[in-house]
Amino acid sequence: MPLTGVEPARMNRKKGDKGFESPRPYKLTHQVVCINNINFQRKSVVGFVELTVFPTVANLNRIKLNSKQCRIYRVRINDLEAAFIYNDPTLEVCHSESKQRNLNYFSNAYAAAVSAVDPDAGNGELCIKVPSELWKHVDELKVLKIHINFSLDQPKGGLHFVVPSVEGSMAERGAHVFSCGYQNSTRFWFPCVDSYSELCTWKLEFTVDAAMVAVSNGDLVETVYTHDMRKKTFHYMLTIPTAASNISLAIGPFEILVDPYMHEVTHFCLPQLLPLLKHTTSYLHEVFEFYEEILTCRYPYSCFKTVFIDEAYVEVAAYASMSIFSTNLLHSAMIIDETPLTRRCLAQSLAQQFFGCFISRMSWSDEWVLKGISGYIYGLWMKKTFGVNEYRHWIKEELDRIVAYELKTGGVLLHPIFGGGKEKDNPASHLHFSIKHPHTLSWEYYTMFQCKAHLVMRLIENRISMEFMLQVFNKLLSLASTASSQKFQSHMWSQMLVSTSGFLKSISNVSGKDIQPLIKQWVDQSGVVKFYGSFAFNRKRNVLELEIKQDYTSPGTQKYVGPLKVTVQELDGSFNHTLQIEENSLKHDIPCHSKSRRNKKKKIPLMNGEEVDMDLSAMDADSPLLWIRIDPDMSVLRKVEFEQADFMWQYQLRYERDVVAQQESILALEKFPTPASRLALTDILEQEQCFYRVRMSACFCLAKIANSMVSTWTGPPAMKSLFTRMFCCKSCPNIVKTNNFMSFQSYFLQKTMPVAMALLRDVHNLCPKEVLTFILDLIKYNDNRKNKFSDNYYRAEMIDALANSVTPAVSVNNEVRTLDNLNPDVRLILEEITRFLNMEKLLPSYRHTITVSCLRAIRVLQKNGHVPSDPALFKSYAEYGHFVDIRIAALEAVVDYTKVDRSYEELQWLLNMIQNDPVPYVRHKILNMLTKNPPFTKNMESPLCNEALVDQLWKLMNSGTSHDWRLRCGAVDLYFTLFGLSRPSCLPLPELGLVLNLKEKKAVLNPTIIPEAVAGNQEAANNPSSHPQLVGFQNPFSSSQDEEEIDMDTVHDSQAFISHHLNMLERPSTPGLSKYRPASSRSALIPQHSTGCDSTPTTKPQWSLELARKGTGKEQSPLEMGMHPVASAPLSVFTKESTASKHSDHHHHHHHEHKKKKKKHKHKHKHKHKHDSKEKDKEPFTFSSPASGRSIRSPSLSD
Amino acid sequence: MADAAATAGAGGSGTRSGSKQSTNPADNYHLARRRTLQVVVSSLLTEAGFESAEKASVETLTEMLQSYISEIGRSAKSYCEHTARTQPTLSDIVVTLVEMGFNVDTLPAYAKRSQRMVITAPPVTNQPVTPKALTAGQNRPHPPHIPSHFPEFPDPHTYIKTPTYREPVSDYQVLREKAASQRRDVERALTRFMAKTGETQSLFKDDVSTFPLIAARPFTIPYLTALLPSELEMQQMEETDSSEQDEQTDTENLALHISMEDSGAEKENTSVLQQNPSLSGSRNGEENIIDNPYLRPVKKPKIRRKKRPGKVTGKKGLFAAVLITKKTVQRVQDIWIPLIDSRFVAPLSHPRTSFLFLSSSGLQVFH
Repeated sequence: MPLTGVEPARMNRKKGDKGFESPRPYKLTHQVVCINNINFQRKSVVGFVELTVFPTVANLNRIKLNSKQCRIYRVRINDLEAAFIYNDPTLEVCHSESKQRNLNYFSNAYAAAVSAVDPDAGNGELCIKVPSELWKHVDELKVLKIHINFSLDQPKGGLHFVVPSVEGSMAERGAHVFSCGYQNSTRFWFPCVDSYSELCTWKLEFTVDAAMVAVSNGDLVETVYTHDMRKKTFHYMLTIPTAASNISLAIGPFEILVDPYMHEVTHFCLPQLLPLLKHTTSYLHEVFEFYEEILTCRYPYSCFKTVFIDEAYVEVAAYASMSIFSTNLLHSAMIIDETPLTRRCLAQSLAQQFFGCFISRMSWSDEWVLKGISGYIYGLWMKKTFGVNEYRHWIKEELDRIVAYELKTGGVLLHPIFGGGKEKDNPASHLHFSIKHPHTLSWEYYTMFQCKAHLVMRLIENRISMEFMLQVFNKLLSLASTASSQKFQSHMWSQMLVSTSGFLKSISNVSGKDIQPLIKQWVDQSGVVKFYGSFAFNRKRNVLELEIKQDYTSPGTQKYVGPLKVTVQELDGSFNHTLQIEENSLKHDIPCHSKSRRNKKKKIPLMNGEEVDMDLSAMDADSPLLWIRIDPDMSVLRKVEFEQADFMWQYQLRYERDVVAQQESILALEKFPTPASRLALTDILEQEQCFYRVRMSACFCLAKIANSMVSTWTGPPAMKSLFTRMFCCKSCPNIVKTNNFMSFQSYFLQKTMPVAMALLRDVHNLCPKEVLTFILDLIKYNDNRKNKFSDNYYRAEMIDALANSVTPAVSVNNEVRTLDNLNPDVRLILEEITRFLNMEKLLPSYRHTITVSCLRAIRVLQKNGHVPSDPALFKSYAEYGHFVDIRIAALEAVVDYTKVDRSYEELQWLLNMIQNDPVPYVRHKILNMLTKNPPFTKNMESPLCNEALVDQLWKLMNSGTSHDWRLRCGAVDLYFTLFGLSRPSCLPLPELGLVLNLKEKKAVLNPTIIPEAVAGNQEAANNPSSHPQLVGFQNPFSSSQDEEEIDMDTVHDSQAFISHHLNMLERPSTPGLSKYRPASSRSALIPQHSTGCDSTPTTKPQWSLELARKGTGKEQSPLEMGMHPVASAPLSVFTKESTASKHSDHHHHHHHEHKKKKKKHKHKHKHKHKHDSKEKDKEPFTFSSPASGRSIRSPSLSD
Repeated sequence: MADAAATAGAGGSGTRSGSKQSTNPADNYHLARRRTLQVVVSSLLTEAGFESAEKASVETLTEMLQSYISEIGRSAKSYCEHTARTQPTLSDIVVTLVEMGFNVDTLPAYAKRSQRMVITAPPVTNQPVTPKALTAGQNRPHPPHIPSHFPEFPDPHTYIKTPTYREPVSDYQVLREKAASQRRDVERALTRFMAKTGETQSLFKDDVSTFPLIAARPFTIPYLTALLPSELEMQQMEETDSSEQDEQTDTENLALHISMEDSGAEKENTSVLQQNPSLSGSRNGEENIIDNPYLRPVKKPKIRRKKRPGKVTGKKGLFAAVLITKKTVQRVQDIWIPLIDSRFVAPLSHPRTSFLFLSSSGLQVFH
């Protein structure tokens, strides 16, 4: 049966969810990317792409592709010049000079802009017109070859150039370039269909300097010199269908290491780092073996490459058959702390090779499956490599993280479904960003999303068993690998895409179990469960009366109904009970097995079969209960607050073998500062068999308890004698043994204990002198000469300990901090810090851990008033050219300074760095740190909060960060933290508080000035004097808040802009196109502007503003007059302010007018052009694009 | 008999003349002792009534006497030490003599015989002269059993242990203390020096000298200093696992050797291989050639004239072709074969105005 492109798609649609329905009226089968010139000096790239495309509908006349920041010279289809327009609405989200400064407005507009070019909705920035000569060809659904010549000049995203400014050739300088970005960002460096669901085969060619190596996806077929022998061309073939988003590139003077265990694996690093690379990657083959074994599936690609580069965007980025890592993951055999972290990164990237690169996703809402599976198998690897304790500890940590995040921000939704497309139905209305697109997500949300995804995958495993789970994975993989070897015409490639429904179907096929409730609870719904548990023991009935309450009303919570495991440790053993949590039942009676404690001498059996002797004197004589645990297996995403007596927690800590239980009891014991708790913790600390992380957290708990008990304690400071016994010389207890870190457990304990000890405080709330001397002695006698390992992390932690010992200075009349009045203890600390920091300049430590700790310690001293607060030192360390860890530490200090000292200058300095720093990671990090530690928040009065700042930040997120999704979302996060969702309170009110909504024919309060309901009320309650205007406004209009709505039709004019242009690209209708567009697509919402009104794509609110301004001038419109009494009352309060700001407004006004005129002019121009083109009719032409695509053929059009 | 005495006297002078040759004081001492013994033997012979004696017989007798006395001394010392003493007593000598078969009872009578001769102390001829300047302290007097004509004891410092320094510190605590403070002092001095000679930063505006911080200076390639272990650490590392290191260098050398062989075939491509000498760090020596595309030689451009196919180039082209076939992998064979063909058709001698460039994506004309 000869199949054309159309049938399978339709058939699939009939079959329902299983098949994949492409949003595009064509299918991409093969793409060539050829970059024939890379200039490191100018940071530019020249090349072409060629896409082989099969139309799936007749009448295909426009092809939309993705391309950002590329300059497109020429487009040819089957060797015929083709017209194209290039429009990127995300360049500037809110086009017109808008007075709207509220985030609601922005987020909607941004989501709309991203939608307008979303490849998953069939959209793109680049719209190519199929030349009319080919229409017949297209109608026969014959192949089209689209050839696009493009160049990139100084790319700000997508490709990152690292060019150190030293002498020598680029190769000698270690200059390199690599692709990077968040989610599907390939469009930043070449035109493509930037979707995870559009698979095709690839041919990649890169011509680079002869001293350089180009690493890319697939097999390196050959390397050929150019004719002048000065350059080499690397030819790559990727025969496994792959999405453009999984294509990557790294070029640099790399050192090459073929893996000694697997010759098809090649590692690359920057010059001089080869020894480190050898050591770092020596473990990788074991990871390979592990994954291949559990998945019973060979690694899908014929080769694998790891590239370690500098200034990485993220630590780990996985692409088809290659992974790009940060060079900072490399380490030598002497480094303890980095080793497990790096191995984790390697394992993580390899897991993503299977799920994420080889198997791709159908749509954004299926992302959770891939992240979940790769995270889950990575977890299995962790369990095998680092042991069950580490694994359970990690799961607990991840669970705590997601729970904390969801309770804070209100829920992470794994599988968002957007029915209807109305914003009101938005499942994530509690968020300040849209979750419809990966590119609008806050970075933190996305990390939490990944975390939740793998936890949910584990829940599924709990339900259907690991065996079935792995069978499902194997099934997905084997289907995909069968599909991958097929030719395109068989239409099997969609088997390589995973969807939520497909995944669930194979689970039910394989396991025969119904996991729908589980999916509904954790995947289709956001939120976590919050349990409160308490119990009473009924002696008469010998029954444990357990009460479990739930909080499902707070944000980020949901109600849980279903089974819940409770483990009760009694005298006679440990017993599991499964309770059914139902709607209204709070109390659960659990019968106890142990009658009483007659047999005192008997050993007590534990859960794992072990029998132990316990000292039972502490327990309640009437009850046989030792301890109770709710949901010990973490099979619910929950937070449990459970009440039991202190001795029960102590028993749990001492005798429960599960590290999670131990951790929980340590946390609980903080509330019971008694000698018994103290003893239990000390015993745990001493126990060699106990998991080291538990012992580490016991240190900190012990410090807290000791502080609470300080008035009654007379002995030596907590942990001191213990440390002395464990790590100091027998003959001279004040001298620590020479370092020997062979036992990692004790190494970690030795590192941590002093840090915790430094948190001890005496009755005056000062760190005891004894402790400080002790730490100083540790530093003094530290001797690493005989050690096999580096002690840089240990020394860094000693500095952290010094910093922890610092307490606020006693300040007399705000005197200036000088050397003369320096506290003698601080003098000692400062002495050490100075020496360490200076020594680092001469003998730098690995990753400069010591400098990092010193900088942090100096900030602590500044903050506590011992040293004058001054950001100059940090600013010098934050400069580009320092190691990234140092920079981040220094920037953190500057951010903190900005907050504490409310420094406008420093804030500006930081914002400047956000815009101009060469390293994307640093820019992202600054935004992140400012969001975490903001100089002020929305409910706070601050001198920093002013109009200029609002404008600056607005500009930053509106247009300043268009080259980096992550950065833009970071800017949005910051804006939200500083100003909230509504119009920032520091902005002066616009002249008119009311606007007319012509559509509904009524006047409403200008949506831009309505304060956020919650924020406003709070503020009013807290300090009614600070914002009188809000009070004044709220009273008459409190009901009108409901009417605050952003007109979605006009919110985003870019869509209109595009459709306008498309209208102009005079077209016969494409009937198939609209059918293929999902109903949820944004374009459905947007009314097609008729050619008549195309010159007014301005937003309506603005228009009314304009009207209002005119009104206040001379001629008042009758409508305006009628409203005047209402409006003037509140406004009269602010006449002064408004006149003050009049001047600037005036300017704005003019500016605006001017811009508008210009725009009109432009449009006219295009109109004219349209006519021209009509005349010329079929002659190929190109459009001047507003972004960067300039036409060669029609220079007259470029304005 | 007088002759014997004369001979004895002559013997004395004879030895003296002989001693002229030897300048060693120890030899002199021995000679003097022997001379004394000769005098004794001669006088005993005279006592026994000999008029004269041959030199050889006197010598023999002297030798016997010397042996006898030595044996008494040695044996007496043994008896003395046997009873845990260092100073011999009379009884030691008696027992010795008895042991040697000597009738001790006859001794007093023999000592009191009338015709015995008394020998005077030999004249001290070569008193060892010690330079005055080097004398330190008082020379020890002879113990009573040593005749005064024996040489003086040497200067006390040559044989008496004198405590000129304190006990060597073996106390752990002190050692650690010392090491720590020494290191700290060195570090402090060094950093202060660096701070004094270079740019500094300070935490206090009013005082820049008390806690001087060496100014932060950005690196051009920051990751190198951050990641590579310092030379100090490298040394340590080498010390700790030198065996492993050796093994590695061995394989490296091997690999280098192999790559050199390879490069012999195709000189142009050596640069690539030499860049990565340790690539083929294969454990099993048999499998020397690792098939990794990044290790393959870079090909030279394929040049082809438009209208003149079928012309074979010189040796180099052939070489390359052979090399390729040797290393060709099966999975890419179909792509390689046309390329090999094109190798044979590169007209190097002709001006490169316009030629065809064969790539797997199709034919493209380059100008």
